[in-house]
Amino acid sequence: MRTTLRRVAVGLSLAALTATAAACGSATANSSDATTGTDAPAASALDGKGEVSIGFWHAMTGKNGEALKQLTDQFNAKNKGRVKVDLQFKNTYDDTLSAYKAALNSGQAPDVVQVYDIGTRFMIDSKSTVPVQSFVDVDKTTTSDIQPNIAGYYSVDNKLNSMPFNTSMPLLYLNKTAFTKAGLDPANPPKTLDEITAAARKLTVKDANGRVTQYGFGAALYGWFLEQWTASGNQEYCDQGNGRDGRGTTVKLATDDHVKLLAWWKKMVDEGLAPKLDSNTTTADNAFTAGTVAMTLESTGSLGGFLKSSEGKFEIATGNYPKINATDAGGPIIGGASLWVVGKGKDDAHKRASWEFVKFLSDKDSQATWHTSTGYFPISKGALETEVDKQWVAQRPQFQTAITQLQNTPLSKATQGCLLGAMPQARKAAEQAMQAAVLSGTDPRTALEQQEKALATPIKDYNQSVTN
Amino acid sequence: MTAPTLLAARPAVGRTDRPPGRSAAPARARETALGLLFVLPGLAGLGVFVIFPLFQAVYLATRGNDILGNPTRSVGLAHFHELFTPEFGTVLWQTLLFTVLVVVPGVLLPLALAAPMTQRLPGMRIFRTAFALPFAYSVSAASVVWLIMLNPGVSPVNWALSLLGIPEPNWTTEPGWAMATVVGVTVWMVSGFNLLVLAAGLAGVDEEVLEAARMDGATGPRQFVSIVLPMISPSLFFAVVTTTLAALQALGQVQIMTDGGPNGHTRTLVYSIFDNAFHNNNSNFGLASAQGLVLLVIGVLIAVVQFGVLERRVHYR
Amino acid sequence: MNRPGPVPTVLTYLWLGGAAVVLLFPVLLTVLGGFLPSNALLHEPPQLFGGHWTLENYRAAWRQPVVPLAPAFLNSLFVGLSVMLGHLVTSCLAAYALVFLRSPLRRPIFWLFLATIMVPYESIVVPNALFVRSLGINDNRLSLVLPFLASGFGVFMLRQAFAQFPRELREAAVIDGCGHLRFLVTILLPASRPALIGISVWSFLQGWNMYFWPLIISSSNNSLNTLQTAVFALKDNEGGSPAVLLAGITITLVPTLLLVIFGQRWLVRGFTAGAVK
Repeated sequence: MRTTLRRVAVGLSLAALTATAAACGSATANSSDATTGTDAPAASALDGKGEVSIGFWHAMTGKNGEALKQLTDQFNAKNKGRVKVDLQFKNTYDDTLSAYKAALNSGQAPDVVQVYDIGTRFMIDSKSTVPVQSFVDVDKTTTSDIQPNIAGYYSVDNKLNSMPFNTSMPLLYLNKTAFTKAGLDPANPPKTLDEITAAARKLTVKDANGRVTQYGFGAALYGWFLEQWTASGNQEYCDQGNGRDGRGTTVKLATDDHVKLLAWWKKMVDEGLAPKLDSNTTTADNAFTAGTVAMTLESTGSLGGFLKSSEGKFEIATGNYPKINATDAGGPIIGGASLWVVGKGKDDAHKRASWEFVKFLSDKDSQATWHTSTGYFPISKGALETEVDKQWVAQRPQFQTAITQLQNTPLSKATQGCLLGAMPQARKAAEQAMQAAVLSGTDPRTALEQQEKALATPIKDYNQSVTN
Repeated sequence: MTAPTLLAARPAVGRTDRPPGRSAAPARARETALGLLFVLPGLAGLGVFVIFPLFQAVYLATRGNDILGNPTRSVGLAHFHELFTPEFGTVLWQTLLFTVLVVVPGVLLPLALAAPMTQRLPGMRIFRTAFALPFAYSVSAASVVWLIMLNPGVSPVNWALSLLGIPEPNWTTEPGWAMATVVGVTVWMVSGFNLLVLAAGLAGVDEEVLEAARMDGATGPRQFVSIVLPMISPSLFFAVVTTTLAALQALGQVQIMTDGGPNGHTRTLVYSIFDNAFHNNNSNFGLASAQGLVLLVIGVLIAVVQFGVLERRVHYR
Repeated sequence: MNRPGPVPTVLTYLWLGGAAVVLLFPVLLTVLGGFLPSNALLHEPPQLFGGHWTLENYRAAWRQPVVPLAPAFLNSLFVGLSVMLGHLVTSCLAAYALVFLRSPLRRPIFWLFLATIMVPYESIVVPNALFVRSLGINDNRLSLVLPFLASGFGVFMLRQAFAQFPRELREAAVIDGCGHLRFLVTILLPASRPALIGISVWSFLQGWNMYFWPLIISSSNNSLNTLQTAVFALKDNEGGSPAVLLAGITITLVPTLLLVIFGQRWLVRGFTAGAVK
């Protein structure tokens, strides 16, 4: 007993010592890396290395996670003795990124990491990755098979930084059954705010007590949607050419279009045509599949879930993401996540092995599998031409809308999307403004101006933190 | 779990034991050394993870950070200046509001349930267990269950209200209602434990006193307040203190149910610390540390007020 | 003791019964909801009773690979037990020294322990998180409990309990040549059993119910989810099927529900020991 106790005491004192040591040590930990490694090794880097094991951090759940595992198994079988990929699930995108930050600090970074679109600027600034473009250049191939609008988001100066993987874009989802019942044509869905209002008036149903049993429209006050609306109007969301000509310093929240949008949204709620929903998309999704709202906004990724939950209750149709003004000439940004090859602290064999895996996931067959088993938009043009894929789309005519929508979207800085280190905060700020205007009845312009002003600090903090 | 402990400090302080010593000096030195050895594990643990971090918090509060969140250059008092903005004022006000709205019903409701349960009637034990059940809920379990319960479109509560002809409130999306909802969950959660505490307190009161003060007849309630309440004042005091601290430190219900929204209307101090430091990739550890120091001051103030003012009115038997 | 008259009796039952309906509805929803098919909940009126029962949601909640509940259960158990053991060991030793071992530092050390009780955990969570992250033990369960192994409250509670031990008995023991540790382990601890049970229950639940800290730790390593953070993660991933979510929550609640139903005495004692006499 006595020794045990002493051990406890000693252990705790040791903990105290390590504490001090670690506190001093953490400042110097970064400089100890031998390789900063942002250049791409050629295929020969794998020669004579035996089986190289790489770790891949991802945030794919449910059937998406299963599809990813299936693809990874395929890759591992094909590359037996050469490369082995170890899948590590990291919960949400947010968690994956915060885990990656922590790992860079402690030198335990994975070899490949999946990061959401709005983490792109951070990943570039972390200077810890090998740009995909470098591998493409070393291999003397091209990125021409990748849908240009998809590659656009992850490209700066026409150079691709990371490999887009799971991509989706927003659509207008319709309760087809309710549409037909209300005497509307589901094949001709509303295209603008005004048309949504007109349709919603016909779709909204009240019971004998005056209680609304079906709202015409209802969507989450999700910041992503605001970004989509901006791009659909061919407007840039932040300055410096949407953060692509230089480091962005302001987010253009308080624009006339945004004011118009939020005022419209508020009016929809006031007129009883839309329920009050928060920024959580799950709540809005439930409302749609329960038949409580007849039109909603969601990403293509939700199509599968919607079809399943609505089975036997009602049919679903889709329409292009609506525009604020009839004259708006842009189109939605393609969102989702991309794959980054980590270079910091990795030897050439690992970097090359990572690239082999990333390349595999992006080829047309993998993307066809990925698309048909998850509903994400294939990044490969060729994938859409494969038989499997054609059949899949034929069975789900709702998805054709997404393909057409993408093809009709011009590639511009506006539709590339805003690249900003503080983009997670910017999205949150947009949500705050949307909530203030729609839920608490703040004047839309005031709400947007307040948030635009409040965003200045995190943007400045981020830009400063990059430089020191 | 701060303050209640200090309560009983007085009776025990100053008890010295003098073991029958033979050779005084070496034995005393040995005893001192042994004493230090015995308190070392506890002191080391608290020193490394409570006392030292207090100083580190002050240091961090004056620092900016790099993109990985490591502290870097000094920003002077910039983070403290941010504490004097209307936004942070709102956060403090909402913290106070939340705390008061939780503590008052969170103690009165269980009291109103526990008092009639002192009658010798069949089924009272079952009621006590039933009312204590919310105590089994962790904050995340309670929050998620309530969210399901109030989910627009599928809410059984909204359906019940519609039967009564009451329009369904926007539980988590309208500023006033959102605050009421997170308060409601918290009151529900603390009521279980407070009921056990108050029932135990009432069980210790003399049957005859209770009988005299019983709620039958017009004089009942007044007698309850003037006779029974003072007798269970230690339990009441304990319930008030623990509930205050639980409310002040609440995070899960806000983070899970409203995420501080709508538009920041349920943002409390602890949520703000969490949000600035760990949420949404913010990593603003400096500001979060400065806000942590505000929480520390509030915690100490509450302890002082509760023990200076309230405890004098508590009657120990 | 007399029974109350018929009118107050009816009023009592009305009040308690009414309150029970309202306060227990969430409990009912949690437990029953998990046994019902998904669409029975998303129904107007919700079909809480009758209909066909199913174990499918429990199976789904237990088997879903996204937020595995079994490891989270183990993590929670580990956290609860470590915090409890940590508190017990450090508090017993410190409290013993503070009561029985004379030292000029006794009083300042006691006040130091007391002072730590006044520090709200959330005010030092940032430095602690940065510190524990810098230790490079992201993958280790220890990072879930490291800051919580000692407790000023525990020291205080046990000090109160030890101080009540009759001095004469202790002196007799010393005369018999009984050393400090032997006296502590063989005589004092058994004599202080009620206090020890109290602090054990309190400490265990402290660890079991923790939310803020595991949320931070598990955000960079989801294999360190505890049941409490798992419930939150489950909400994000199973939001579309409330029945599965409720089944998962019911699973996480089993230990504490049992404690409330069968261990009320310990609960009250654990949380109020030393505070309410």
